[in-house]
This record gives sequence, structure tokens and C-alpha cells, in this order.
Amino acid sequence: MPSLDIATRETHAPVNELTVVAKRHPGRWLAALVVLLVAAALVRSVMQNPRFQWDVVNLYLRDFSIGKGLWLTIWLTAVSMAISVVLGVLIAVMRLSANPVLRAGAFAYVWFFRGTPLLVQLLFWYNVAALYPVISFGLPGVHLNANHLITPLTAAILGLGLNQGAYQSEIVRAGIISVDHGQGEAAAALGLTRGQTMRRIVLPQAMRVIVPPTGNETISMLKNTSLVSVLAVPDLLYSAQIIYNRTFQPIPLLLIACIWYLVVTTVLTVGQYYVERRFARGNHVLPSTPWQRMRTLLKTHTPMAKGSAR
Amino acid sequence: MSQLTQQEPQAESADAGPMVRCEGVRKSFGTVEVLKGIDLEVQRGEVVCMIGPSGSGKSTMLRCINHLERVDAGRVWVDGEIVGYEQQGNKLYELADKEICRRRTQVGMVFQHFNLFPHKTVLENLVEAPRLALGESKAVASERALGLLDQVGLADKRAAYPRHLSGGQQQRVAIARALCMQPKLMLFDEPTSALDPELVGDVLAVMKDLAANGMTMVVVTHEMGFARDVANWVAFFDGGQIVERGTPEQVLGDPSHDRTKAFLSAVR
Ligand SMILES: Nc1ncnc2c1ncn2[C@@H]1O[C@H](COP(=O)(O)OP(=O)(O)O)[C@@H](O)[C@H]1O
Ligand SMILES: [Mg+2]
Repeated sequence: MPSLDIATRETHAPVNELTVVAKRHPGRWLAALVVLLVAAALVRSVMQNPRFQWDVVNLYLRDFSIGKGLWLTIWLTAVSMAISVVLGVLIAVMRLSANPVLRAGAFAYVWFFRGTPLLVQLLFWYNVAALYPVISFGLPGVHLNANHLITPLTAAILGLGLNQGAYQSEIVRAGIISVDHGQGEAAAALGLTRGQTMRRIVLPQAMRVIVPPTGNETISMLKNTSLVSVLAVPDLLYSAQIIYNRTFQPIPLLLIACIWYLVVTTVLTVGQYYVERRFARGNHVLPSTPWQRMRTLLKTHTPMAKGSAR
Repeated sequence: MSQLTQQEPQAESADAGPMVRCEGVRKSFGTVEVLKGIDLEVQRGEVVCMIGPSGSGKSTMLRCINHLERVDAGRVWVDGEIVGYEQQGNKLYELADKEICRRRTQVGMVFQHFNLFPHKTVLENLVEAPRLALGESKAVASERALGLLDQVGLADKRAAYPRHLSGGQQQRVAIARALCMQPKLMLFDEPTSALDPELVGDVLAVMKDLAANGMTMVVVTHEMGFARDVANWVAFFDGGQIVERGTPEQVLGDPSHDRTKAFLSAVR
């Protein structure tokens, strides 16, 4: 019709030809700018302050003994966490068992290992040979020399793993409790045993609740391993200490340790993110990756059909 | 849809006794007695509907049949075996967990809220128990599972996760999951109560088909139409007792008990 004006024609345009223009947020950009400026000023002051001794940092950052210490720190974190996860599942299942003896045992374990300082536990394991020079596990014919068995490294693993196991069991228990009661019931009605139900039905669903705090605990463990320097185990921190005891430059060497702790933490954070995505399977919406989120943030014009899909 | 049950000839069930027998079943939670002496007999191939007000003990009775609840007094038999116990002389020996599990594999159960495993696809939901509890190979279990999915009209959903299905579809998957164990008895606890009205029909159609193929079924339901069409007989529960039982025409059409009359007029 010739009398049709532009306004009317526009409102009748097919939906999939329309474009959605996102609301502008000038305040956000302004705030971002301020934050960036402050951050830049801070970095500049740190970089230009000669007392940080960045030249020394640069000299020792990739030093061989620092590298060895870093590797030991990562290895200790991994082994202790692995032990704690296995222990944590075991103790959580005991804690929720129908058997009162197992329940009490699990409770006592958590009570003891959560109730005493980690540093004391480490020193205790280190000195266990003084208490039990010969370890036999009560078995005839077993005569293990505790001094040989409990090296500083095994004391470190025992101390970190057993202590963390107590915390981990509480995380796993929270995860198990979070799974709908009907799941265990349906599995039982199908004739699955309690063990099968736990392994195949309950624990996989509990992972969604277990993974985030476990990632947190791993990062925490990474730094708790530095306590083993009291046992003279040459981890990242102790290796840095050995160097600065010789060169009397504690600040740059502690900076080096911090830089490496931050690097590993960053890697762990990214890893945790993808593990969480993996265990969100079967959920309605998978969390988007940071890359996807950045793109949504920067996008201002979206075609209607796509923009209304989510 | 055809042949929903592929019943194998069962050696021990050669006796023609009832599929389910309950005798003086009592059950309390704390100080509250929820079942006050239930007597019940379900013959092979029969469909029994349990109706009654909420809290009258219907679910608890159903759960006693596959030992999800333990009875306090009285006995329950399924296919001639006492549920949860073994009788030797005049002693009842409590069964080991393993034996309880084995017997549960022969009784299918469908829940009000489906209880599908959300982290597994539809096909994985079906084959999980046959593989773990019956020790079947993946190929054998999958083949039967796909046949069952076809029969409940969901063959194209085998790779979907339960979250992506409607309630009616989820409940049909749940029925197929129970059938995949090739049970000799099916228990339904309000299978359509959580569904939108327009989805109820599909689920009831599957259940009718199952009944027509000779499956023994105990169904707790508020679907009076289903009870009228399919049930051999109906039990009306109230306050932990069966206060009235009989054919659907008798109980639903011409109830003799005041409480049945009151309940039916409220449901309509
Ligand atoms: N596990 C339980 N613990 C305590 N009380 C329960 C439990 N299960 C059921 N009950 C109680 O038993 C009564 C009967 O419940 P139920 O058998 O579910 O009734 P219905 O299925 O007929 O609605 C209700 O009062 C309910 O609160
Ligand atoms: Mg109920």
C-alpha cells in the first residue's frame, strides 16, 4: 500500500531480521579505566623500586635448585591430595555407614586430625622413630626400622595427606548428602548393592558439590606444603631459603617463590574450571568458558533470533 | 505397542500361588503406626490399584513389598519367598544384603518423581542395573533396552539426558528402566501424580499395555479412570488399614464404607 509509512513497516519487519542492541554501561567502562590506572601505577612503583632487586629475581628465577624445589612442591601437593581424596571418600562413607563402629572411627579420625595443628602433626611424624623405633604393624616377622622408613619426605606426605584427609572427608560427606535421596532408593529398587549405588550413582552426582571446594583445597595444599621446610625437605620455599641464607637477599628470593606459587595456582584454577564443566554433565546449562563470556560481554549487536535463544 | 514383557520361564515360580501375599503387616515410624495389620493377596497377572487419602500408608505398603522398608510384624511373600527373611523351621533368618539385592532385581518399581539418574543418558539409565546387578554384557542389555525404548515411544531419545525430557517422557523411561530388569512384578507409586495433565495419558497407555500383556502390577494411584478400566480389584486404604476392597465397580461405583464415599466424592 502506498500510504504505509516507514514506522508501520518497521514494526512489521520479520523478527529474524531485527537486531538487538545491548544496553550501554558507560559507568562500567569508567570504573574499569580507573581500576586499570591504579593497577598500572602500582606495578610501575613496584618495578621501579630498586629495593625489590628485580635483577636478583631475574638471576635466580630459573635457577636449577629453585626448579627442583618447585617440582618437589608440585609433587608433594599431588601425592598428598591424592592420598587425602582416597581417605576422604573412605572416611565419608564410613561416617554415613549403618555400622556404628565405623561411624565412631570416622568421627574420631576427623576429630583428631582436624583438631591439632598441621605443623605439630608434621613434627610428630618426623619424630615417630623416637616413639616406635621398630614398626611391626603387630605382625610377626615384620621388623621395619622406623628411622629408614620415615624419611623427612615420608613424614611430609603422611602429615599432609592424613591431615587433609580429615578435611576432604567433610567435603565428600557434604557432596554425598547433597544427592537426592530418591537416587539411592531407585538404585536399591533396581537391585544394586550399596557399594554399587555409592560408586555408580551417588558419588558421580556428588562430584558437582565436591569438585569446587577440592580445587580450593588443592590450592591451599600447594602453599601448606611450604610447612615441610621445618623438616628440611627442599621444596620451593626451602630451596629459596637455602639460597638467601647464602646470599643474604631474602626479598628477591621470596618474590621468586611467590611468583612460582602464583603460576601454579593459575594453572590449577584453569584446570579446576574445566573439571567442573566435566562434572556438570546432564545439567541444563553448562557454565560458559571465560572466552565465551568475554565475547558476550563485548558484543553489542545481536541478531534477534540468536539473542532470544538463551 | 506390543509385547512389553519378555518374561523368561522361571524355574522356581512353577507353583501357582499368589505373586504377592501380605499377612498382618504392621509398620511404625517412631511412635506412629502407619500400617495396622494389612492382609493382601495379588494373583499372578492381576492388576491391583491402591487408593486412599494421603498419609494412609499406601506408599509404605508398596515399599514393604520390595523391602525398601522392613515390616515390624506380619510377613510379606513375593512369589512364594518371604521378603527379607529365610524361614527354617519356626525361625526367620534375616537375609544377607546380597540376597536382598538379588530378590529386588525381580521386582520393578516406578516412583512418583521418576528418580532417573541425571548424570546418565536415557540408554545408560536402562542398561546400568542389568549390567551391574545381573552381570549382563553391554550388547545384550542395550539390545533389550532399545527394544523397550521403542515400545514406550522414546527410541529417538536414547542419547538424551533426563533433564531434557518432559515429565511424561521421563516417567516412560523410568518404566522402561524397571522393565529392562525383566521383573515378574511391577510396583507403581503414584506414577502420574507429578505430571502435567496432558502428559498423563501417554504414561497410562504404557501401563495399560503392560497390564494387557499379563504383567502383575500393584499400582498406587489417584487415576480413578485407570483403576476402573484396568484393575482386577481395588483396595481402599485409610489410616493404615484396608477399609474396603472389591472390584472397581463395587468400590468406585457403589462404595459401602462412609470413608470411601467421602474420599471418592472429594477426588471427583
Ligand atoms: N521414612 C519415614 N519416616 C517417618 N514417617 C514416615 C516415613 N515414611 C512415611 N512416613 C509417614 O507415614 C505415613 C504414611 O505415609 P505413606 O505411606 O507415604 O502414605 P501415602 O503414600 O498413603 O500418602 C505418613 O504420615 C508419613 O508421614
Ligand atoms: Mg505416597
